[in-house]
Amino acid sequence: MKVSYLWLCEVVNITGVSPDELAERLTRGGLTVDGVAPRVKGVSGVVVGEVVACEQHPNADRLRVCQVNVGQDELLTIVCGAPNVSAGQKVPVAVVGANLPGGKIGKAKLRGIESQGMLCSASEIGLEVKLLPKEQTEGLYILPSDTIVGADVADLLQLNDVVLDIDLTPNRSDCLSIRGLAYEIAALYGRPIRFEPPKRAVTGEGSPVHIEIATDLCSRYDAQVLSGLNDVASPLWMQMRLLTMGVRPINATVDITNYVMLEWGQPLHAFDFDEVRQETIVVRQAHNGEKLVTLDGEERSLTQDMIVISDPDRAIGLAGVMGGENTEVTQKTNRVVLESAAFDAPSVRRTGQRLGLRSEAQQRFEKGIDVVAVRAALNRATELYQQICGASIVGDVASTARTEEPAAESRMVAFSPSRCRELLGAEIADETMQDVFSRLGFHISTSNFSGSDREWDVAVPTRRPDITREADLVEEIARLVGYDEIPSTLPEGATTTGTRTLRQKIHQTTRHILLGAGMTEVFTYSFTHPSQLDRMRLPEDAEYRRMIPIAMPLSDERTVMRTHMLPSLAQIGEYNLSHGNLGGQVFELARVYRPKSLPLTEQPIEETMWAGLWFGEYPVQLGQRPRAFDFYDAKGSIEVWLSAFGLGHRAAFRKTNVPYLHPGRSAEVVVDDIRIGQVGEIYPETAEEMGVAGAVYAEFHLDAIESLLNLRYHVQPLPRFPASLRDLAVVVDQNVAVGDLLYAAKEELSSGTESLLESCNVFDVYRGKGIPESHQSVAFSFIYRATDRTLTDEEVSHLESRVLARWQREFAAVLRS
Amino acid sequence: MNVQEIEQELAHLRAGAVEALAATSDVKALEEWRIEFLGKKSRLTQVSRQMGGLSAEERPIVGSLLNQLRGQLQEAFDARLSELEKAALAARFAAEQIDVTLPGRKTKRGAMHPITRVIEEIEDVFLGMGFEIAEGPEIETDEYNFERLNLPKDHPARDMQDTFYLTENLLLRTHTSPMQVRTMERMCPSAPVKVIVPGRVYRRDEDDATHSHAFNQIEGLVVDKGIRMSDLKGVLEQFAKAVFGPNQAVRLRPSFFPFTEPSAEVDVLCVNCGGKGCRVCKDTGWIEILGAGMVHPNVLDWAGYDSKIYSGFAFGMGAERIAMLKYGIEDIRQLYQNDLRLLSQFARTLV
Repeated sequence: MKVSYLWLCEVVNITGVSPDELAERLTRGGLTVDGVAPRVKGVSGVVVGEVVACEQHPNADRLRVCQVNVGQDELLTIVCGAPNVSAGQKVPVAVVGANLPGGKIGKAKLRGIESQGMLCSASEIGLEVKLLPKEQTEGLYILPSDTIVGADVADLLQLNDVVLDIDLTPNRSDCLSIRGLAYEIAALYGRPIRFEPPKRAVTGEGSPVHIEIATDLCSRYDAQVLSGLNDVASPLWMQMRLLTMGVRPINATVDITNYVMLEWGQPLHAFDFDEVRQETIVVRQAHNGEKLVTLDGEERSLTQDMIVISDPDRAIGLAGVMGGENTEVTQKTNRVVLESAAFDAPSVRRTGQRLGLRSEAQQRFEKGIDVVAVRAALNRATELYQQICGASIVGDVASTARTEEPAAESRMVAFSPSRCRELLGAEIADETMQDVFSRLGFHISTSNFSGSDREWDVAVPTRRPDITREADLVEEIARLVGYDEIPSTLPEGATTTGTRTLRQKIHQTTRHILLGAGMTEVFTYSFTHPSQLDRMRLPEDAEYRRMIPIAMPLSDERTVMRTHMLPSLAQIGEYNLSHGNLGGQVFELARVYRPKSLPLTEQPIEETMWAGLWFGEYPVQLGQRPRAFDFYDAKGSIEVWLSAFGLGHRAAFRKTNVPYLHPGRSAEVVVDDIRIGQVGEIYPETAEEMGVAGAVYAEFHLDAIESLLNLRYHVQPLPRFPASLRDLAVVVDQNVAVGDLLYAAKEELSSGTESLLESCNVFDVYRGKGIPESHQSVAFSFIYRATDRTLTDEEVSHLESRVLARWQREFAAVLRS
Repeated sequence: MNVQEIEQELAHLRAGAVEALAATSDVKALEEWRIEFLGKKSRLTQVSRQMGGLSAEERPIVGSLLNQLRGQLQEAFDARLSELEKAALAARFAAEQIDVTLPGRKTKRGAMHPITRVIEEIEDVFLGMGFEIAEGPEIETDEYNFERLNLPKDHPARDMQDTFYLTENLLLRTHTSPMQVRTMERMCPSAPVKVIVPGRVYRRDEDDATHSHAFNQIEGLVVDKGIRMSDLKGVLEQFAKAVFGPNQAVRLRPSFFPFTEPSAEVDVLCVNCGGKGCRVCKDTGWIEILGAGMVHPNVLDWAGYDSKIYSGFAFGMGAERIAMLKYGIEDIRQLYQNDLRLLSQFARTLV
């Protein structure tokens, strides 16, 4: 909110406090000031001048030569190019030597005539032209005819004001007004406030307006009828204050309601009383489907939970949000009825949101207004209408309030000074707290003794709706004493151990293993678009297509929660390849979101995956030919990862067939019959479309790992007897999977009573010269060992022949000679 | 032969041997030399065999001469051998020399994402202070994201966080604070509760240099008897020193969050200038890094901890913001762009 420093000076004594100091103090007190800026920078030497005469420039069609009275002995001759200049006008005159935001004014010869200054437009003197009506911004800025000639324009137009930009937190609705800010500043500095509610004598004369309240959502409704309003502009001082606070001046009728709202925080609305049928105002809830054309010309369709102001026949306004066009105050208006009321905050908020409206009035209502200000603001506006518009009062205020004035101190909050000290951990004396409450205008009305602990009843004025319980008062104490007064301590309770859970360790280990395997971690967004799955060739009924839609997405490309990691990672690959990176291996630990039902009725399953992508060129290694990342790079990293969890030997890679992976170059990874993930070259067409041709993708379900882990760990004793090492090479059909050979060998030799095979590894696969067509030679190294003896050659040969026999039987393998 | 003749013969022999020794160029030639001059068939041996023809007086003289020469030749041989061995070794090393400036064979370590780096670092700080780590659902209910945190429906404070709704009651959590409630419910009635919650959160903000529709928060919560606001300040001071350096300080400013009272914005000394004032801190010397406060009594009571007996503090910070400050990253979008040229700079550890 933009706030005028000069206006604040008028309502609270801040003598000697500069705007910057005030801003700092407000910020440290909880009202963050985002900026302090002069309203207009560098205007001096500009005075009010009267254009006495105005003639055509002899040498220029578009220039006039004016004689201007600026209160000096002699008239100034000023050449002016503004189309709206004419004799009799009073305008800002920048005399020679004056400073304007655009620069210094010197003597200048314009087409042969010397100009002794410049007549100014609104923008030339730095006014907020965006807020001014068009006619005031085109050409000279015309001042009212009663303006005193020779007066300093900077003073007259409050150009030297300073604007504080306050970022109010939503609890401090009280500070949405000059009055509230005055109380806050008075409390911060312990200085007196100069804010008097207007005095108003009651005449006893009844009001012509009849008010009925037919809803619980309006707690109070006051109205004043006025007649004989002149359609005039509001005085300059008022216009300037509105401009400084960022409000558009329109005419006195409107400006007064806005001004009083800024001053008191109470929104007001004026209806054309002659358009209010039967002189009766009914506050009620709208009928479903009821229509109202609001002041902005839009027809609104209303619902039952909205509050409307109506006459007996029709709605005439949306309470707290916007008035109706049917009762708009116009030049023809004779009588107005001025409304000042208290509407239910949530209802006003809902109505505004539903209709997409967000007025200044609505913002104040939805955060809570001060019921004490309802009458005061009405009286203040009435006073201004009389002064400025020459309006006459028609009767007293009509009100639904049972009493004339509501109690100014409406809420009692129990407060214990010692509890306050305990909660803050700061030694603040009772007297200091009393002083804080007194500065805030909170009265300590009673003082009870409950045991040894003294309790105060603190009376909180209605202007502070945010304070409802002790903790709120503790904050008031803390912020006025200053948060810097709170010392630093550490919690004194029982010691606790901080450890990661198993799941957290799995996540952390996974990251560190993959980093060690050379992969770089990425972070991608969880939002995606369903079309991403089309490129993955997934069938229409694929589970992955059941994606959770975002109700109101911000972008057309991110409309659903992802169910699959491939598109996210492929985007990273594509981005890097198109930005000068030749290739890479990346992984992400992130969640995918699987609805239990669609449309969503309950929280979905959020499953943590690790997914990896190997794309582009493998980093150049000395002595090696350039090559692309391939399946085995991915598999290697995966094997390292599996080994770290003790799953290296338990995991099997089995050929698989998924739509988005190359059918001949992809595998699922299975541990104890549980499928924990998959790896494979991306289906060529898919990879091509995604901009990562040839890339390898892998994904693993981290949540599935936890139950597979063997958390007991016991080392194997060192062997006491020597091992026998034997190599074995066989020739088999090239479509025989080496993994199957290994599996069969291990199975064969583990079927006896004792397992004599310590390990079996493949060390060479060869196709080509010397090997029959479409066959391969595969060489294995076997290590045999017994725990209780040295194996004899015969024993080892027997084991070897069992393996060979099995391979021969199952795979038609032949010993390579 | 008389003594004189033998002396002459030996002198001649020495001269010839010394000359021949100097001419040996490798161990093999040296061995030949040894056989020639010191071996069983050498002239020296032959001469010593002739000793029998000498008189008893001459024999010791010639014997001494012979021994002297044998000793000299043996010594010369040893020296030459050592010389030649050294030279041979030097030649071998010269031949075996490699270019040590060529790159080694390695798997280059990958780089941890700066967001994870920051989260892990902060986790470790709080683990050390006895906090546990918890995670929670990103898709939350309106109840846990707002209502149980003292943010009823139609409350204007809901405007502080623009929300992505999925249905009327399900939404993408706007902060990790719902885990305050979920953790208290899980732990109740045991105390103390000390937990931090890292996790992804979402705001309906257009992405720009400082805003992201998705980012990571780290929530902290302590609930126990006698927890004070000064404890909040102390714990955050420890955190700031651990993460930003030993000379750090924290400053609390009054603020508002519906689920804490009193509430505070927390500043640390500017990480760029150390508090002197610069462009980064807009000349204030301080930068805001997190929001905090004492857990609102409503939140405690609704989660099962009687606010008359228990109190607590909570805080929440953005991992991206801290990463940006710590590492000088100026645009939050870069953290999600994943350009390997940026990320690979984080292969370095311990900074």
